Amino acid sequence: MPLLETRALSKRYGTVKALDSLTLELEPGIIGLVGANGAGKSTLLKLLLGLLEPDGGAATLLGYDVATQGPELRQFVGYMPEHDCLPGDVSATEFVAHMARMSGLPRAAARERTAETLRHVGLFEERYREIRGYSTGMKQRVKLAQALVHDPRLLLLDEPTNGLDPAGRDDMLDLVRRTGKEFGIAIVMASHLLGEIERVCEYLVVIDAGELLRSGPITGFTERTQVLAVEVESGAPALVERLRGAGLIVKEEGRLVLVGTAEGPPYDLIRDTVADLGVGLVRMEQRRQALEDLFRPATPDDSMEEADVAAV
Amino acid sequence: MSQQSDRVAGNIYDLGYRTYDGARLGRPYAIQSLFTYSLRSAFGLGRRTSSKIIPVALALLVFVPAAIALGVAALVSDEVELWSHHGYYGAIAIVLMLFAAAVSPEMVSRDQRTRTLSLYFSRSLNRRDYAAAKSLAVIAAMLVLTLGPQTLLFVGRALATDSVPDYLSDNAGDILPIIVTALALSSVIGLIGVAIAAHTSRRSYGTVAILAVFLLAPLIAGIIAETSGTTGARIATPLSPLDVAQGFTYWVFDERLPDGEALDIANLQGWVWGALVLAYLGVLGAIILRRYERIPA
Repeated sequence: MPLLETRALSKRYGTVKALDSLTLELEPGIIGLVGANGAGKSTLLKLLLGLLEPDGGAATLLGYDVATQGPELRQFVGYMPEHDCLPGDVSATEFVAHMARMSGLPRAAARERTAETLRHVGLFEERYREIRGYSTGMKQRVKLAQALVHDPRLLLLDEPTNGLDPAGRDDMLDLVRRTGKEFGIAIVMASHLLGEIERVCEYLVVIDAGELLRSGPITGFTERTQVLAVEVESGAPALVERLRGAGLIVKEEGRLVLVGTAEGPPYDLIRDTVADLGVGLVRMEQRRQALEDLFRPATPDDSMEEADVAAV
Repeated sequence: MSQQSDRVAGNIYDLGYRTYDGARLGRPYAIQSLFTYSLRSAFGLGRRTSSKIIPVALALLVFVPAAIALGVAALVSDEVELWSHHGYYGAIAIVLMLFAAAVSPEMVSRDQRTRTLSLYFSRSLNRRDYAAAKSLAVIAAMLVLTLGPQTLLFVGRALATDSVPDYLSDNAGDILPIIVTALALSSVIGLIGVAIAAHTSRRSYGTVAILAVFLLAPLIAGIIAETSGTTGARIATPLSPLDVAQGFTYWVFDERLPDGEALDIANLQGWVWGALVLAYLGVLGAIILRRYERIPA
């Protein structure tokens, strides 16, 4: 059974198409939903939760029809919105327990799971204090806790690192990854930051202007090109010539020499050539095609093009 | 299946998070829980002390006339009946208004301001359920202030007499009207509060708007009634919720309306007040549901 299925799902705000006939089928896993701001990520999540009514199309989540089986479905879904959503004048414990009961957990179970979940997200003694005194990082943790407290089978996270400093960001991403990997909870995480998605997700969905751009396993995106970047102190042109002579696809980029590798990186050959020429090797590194490249407008003279061909 | 065993394996390494295989009680339970949670928060229970002061003080205030009446009866003479059941609401009307104005925004504006609605609507209940649970919680809180002192008055008087069974059999006819009027008043006043407060995320705006409606409506009704006689009063009084509540109460208790007031001038058939109460509840309910169908979350 697919985790998520949408058929021609559409939503418009006035004349703006937020989601344009999106058809998508995803299997359970940790899924990254990437797109620039305004691409339709939040709209998609809200349509899946029934917070918004679609203008057309249909969606099923965990096998439940979003339009007709909302309350049953949402017992098994956790949602962490992008925006602030916490009251200030109650404690995290009280609020999360209340939210657990809103998801159908009996009172005693709600209390017990609240304590466990708050501990899981890293809130300890402060959980008895009023939320209004919390830092942004603590509030994000409470938001994650309320989405997890009823042990959902699917977690929908909208920009979970919003407003966090680098350390808080790392903690949150680690928490999300552990939650997905160790507890087998399916996750759909929306983010405009590709680096975050790369760190956490196994599967990637790219949407742009409400349309599906690409979708596939994250390895498929990053392993498309194997490029070895060789940095030398001087004499790069000579190195390029020698390597070309050896039958490699090579491109010069300032002090960098990019070597496209089809059958395993030719480390030894490069080392020997560099030593032979005495050009002074600074570093040699395996380059993945960064996810960012997906969004970079393709230029006719793309430096990677040749290497791409070699890799396929 | 393999996923399930992975999750179990996770327990060994992390005791902080465990899977939950217990009961999930679904939508009716979620609605009921929201109702009780909201009812508690109406009186500031589970909140800091400053949230309790106003609602609890107002709730205590409505018992004061009943307590005085019972005290006077006990000390001086039980012949003196300071307050009748049908007249009691008039004595506490201002407090009921203040309570609705203080509590309704707390109940419904706050969730809009903090944007907590997204969390509610993404759970086991839907928009209408939320609106219903919140409205019923406000009505229930109002009942404490209407039915509460009426009950105190009735029970207190029964205990003060020489024979409780005699008092009960003599006054049994009051019990149903007390319950019916308490429900009607709590519902009309409470729903007006919710209908107004649901349209703003600012608690202070809600409070002011609710007070304005309650205080200005009878004023305007009174002016129209005095200047243009019966026809004017018949147009004006239905527009004032407190007048409707009073007309309804006197009709249910089968009492004569006080002379000279707008209600008396209007001189409407009793059932009209009953119909007006139902109309109020229908319109207010529709306004609240419509608001929650459209409110962005």
